[in-house]
Amino acid sequence: MDSVLKIEGMRKSLGKSLLYTLPMFLITFMFMTGGKPNFADPVSALAMLTAFLLVNILYFLMHYTGKTDRYRAVLFIIFALSLSYTLIHNMVEVRKSMTFSQADILECRIPFCHLVIPMMILPAAFTKSIIFPGSIISGFANISSMVVLWLVATIVLGRGFCSWGCFYGGWDDGFSRIKKRPVIKKISELWKWMPFAVLIMVMLTAALSMMPTYCSWICPFKAVTEFEQVTSVESATKAGIFLSLFGGLVVVLPVMTRKRTQCSFLCPLGAINSLSNKITPFTVKIDKGSCNECFKCVEVCPLYALTPEDIKAGKVSLFCSKCGKCVDACSKKAIHYGIRGIPAGTMKNFSRNLFLFVSFLFMAIFSAGSIINTLQGLLKLIF
Amino acid sequence: MKKVKIIAGISWAFLCLILIIILFPGLNSFSLSVSKLPFMKLNPRYTGGEIANQVISKSCTLDIRKPVFNGFLKERNSGFVQLDWHGTIPDIIKDSIDYDYDGKKDFYVLIDRKNSKTVLEPIDRKVKDVLISTPTSYGWAIRVGLIK
Repeated sequence: MDSVLKIEGMRKSLGKSLLYTLPMFLITFMFMTGGKPNFADPVSALAMLTAFLLVNILYFLMHYTGKTDRYRAVLFIIFALSLSYTLIHNMVEVRKSMTFSQADILECRIPFCHLVIPMMILPAAFTKSIIFPGSIISGFANISSMVVLWLVATIVLGRGFCSWGCFYGGWDDGFSRIKKRPVIKKISELWKWMPFAVLIMVMLTAALSMMPTYCSWICPFKAVTEFEQVTSVESATKAGIFLSLFGGLVVVLPVMTRKRTQCSFLCPLGAINSLSNKITPFTVKIDKGSCNECFKCVEVCPLYALTPEDIKAGKVSLFCSKCGKCVDACSKKAIHYGIRGIPAGTMKNFSRNLFLFVSFLFMAIFSAGSIINTLQGLLKLIF
Repeated sequence: MKKVKIIAGISWAFLCLILIIILFPGLNSFSLSVSKLPFMKLNPRYTGGEIANQVISKSCTLDIRKPVFNGFLKERNSGFVQLDWHGTIPDIIKDSIDYDYDGKKDFYVLIDRKNSKTVLEPIDRKVKDVLISTPTSYGWAIRVGLIK
């Protein structure tokens, strides 16, 4: 009875949930329409309306049901799929293929993504230049705007960026939800430090070779975005690595472990974002007084961010991406969203409401363009 | 002290809320400011280097860029020079290039655009091979490998 009451403590009445959704409704309306909805093109209007309703219904359900992760994951996965669709669609339309050519590199036309950022740091510091064949300020996915988006999101959300802002994370998040039970249950804890090793390796190799080595040789998401034209043994090897890593770390292992293995074991940006968890105001807290040490949270955590020792110590590790899976799973509501400085177990609703508004608003606006674009593409196929 | 921590935490959280709300409307101006930072320029290994000389013929222009030897902490022993042809380019490009402006030709290049064939004849010992030869949106570009 006690646990039921506590679960219901996160839920809100219909009226209260609608009231909490109203600011999101107004802000997303302003961003998606620019304040002036355009009904001249019915397909665009329908796509915009669908995206707008999708984000607001999901946000409403977060408040109404008191559950976070299941509705976050819906938008997060749609974001990943729609961004890949948008990128591939643009490339096929412009270049007639998913590959980029030597001319695209020479003319610096490669879209920039946040995974390049770790490799930019040393060359930017020592050579005062960026080692990427993209555009600094103009065009789609330019370097400056992606750096600003990532920087602000990382300061605000910390590693929450990996569950609320990264347009690749939805891929392994999606695959990790396919099976009800994991086939592989135990993976050594040591592997979660691997992203730091990858981070150091790519930072050094990128600086020494003056090339974004992770993008050129490792990034699994090249398989669903763009990659170099296969014209030599080297480019064929690269394509093989991209596809193998995507198949292994983004598809097979997440299905078998129910964990986000690419994010946990490979992503160098995830390592930087983990460190930024130290400055963000939003955290996940453990109220030791309420915790019955069932370790359900440890079991469901998709990023190996929780261990029984962490729970006993009442601290969440720096790997936490604030996805909310542990928060939803805790029957005692002992693990909850919190704000730095506020003691665990207090102001739970206030902290959750503020965190959800900030994180969901970022994801909703960041994803809106690609979701609308994808819906337009799908609607044009139908009509 | 506890109250101060709580107030500081909540203030920081609200500041972050404001940051997220102004992020998207202000993205263009924030990006423009970031693009003006001293390190926000593409490395010459990607841009091909500054244009050092232009050779203008009847229908097309050849840009000869500065040789690029950029490295992380110091210049490398190997690099490249990029040449760009733009305008109305003939199907077969034949040029002799003096990339270091010492008055002596350093290499001959022949490009058969229809068959995408590039032949390089080094004259100077510092000229090695063709690294890239590709059609571009403005015409044709090649990168020729160099050593110091």
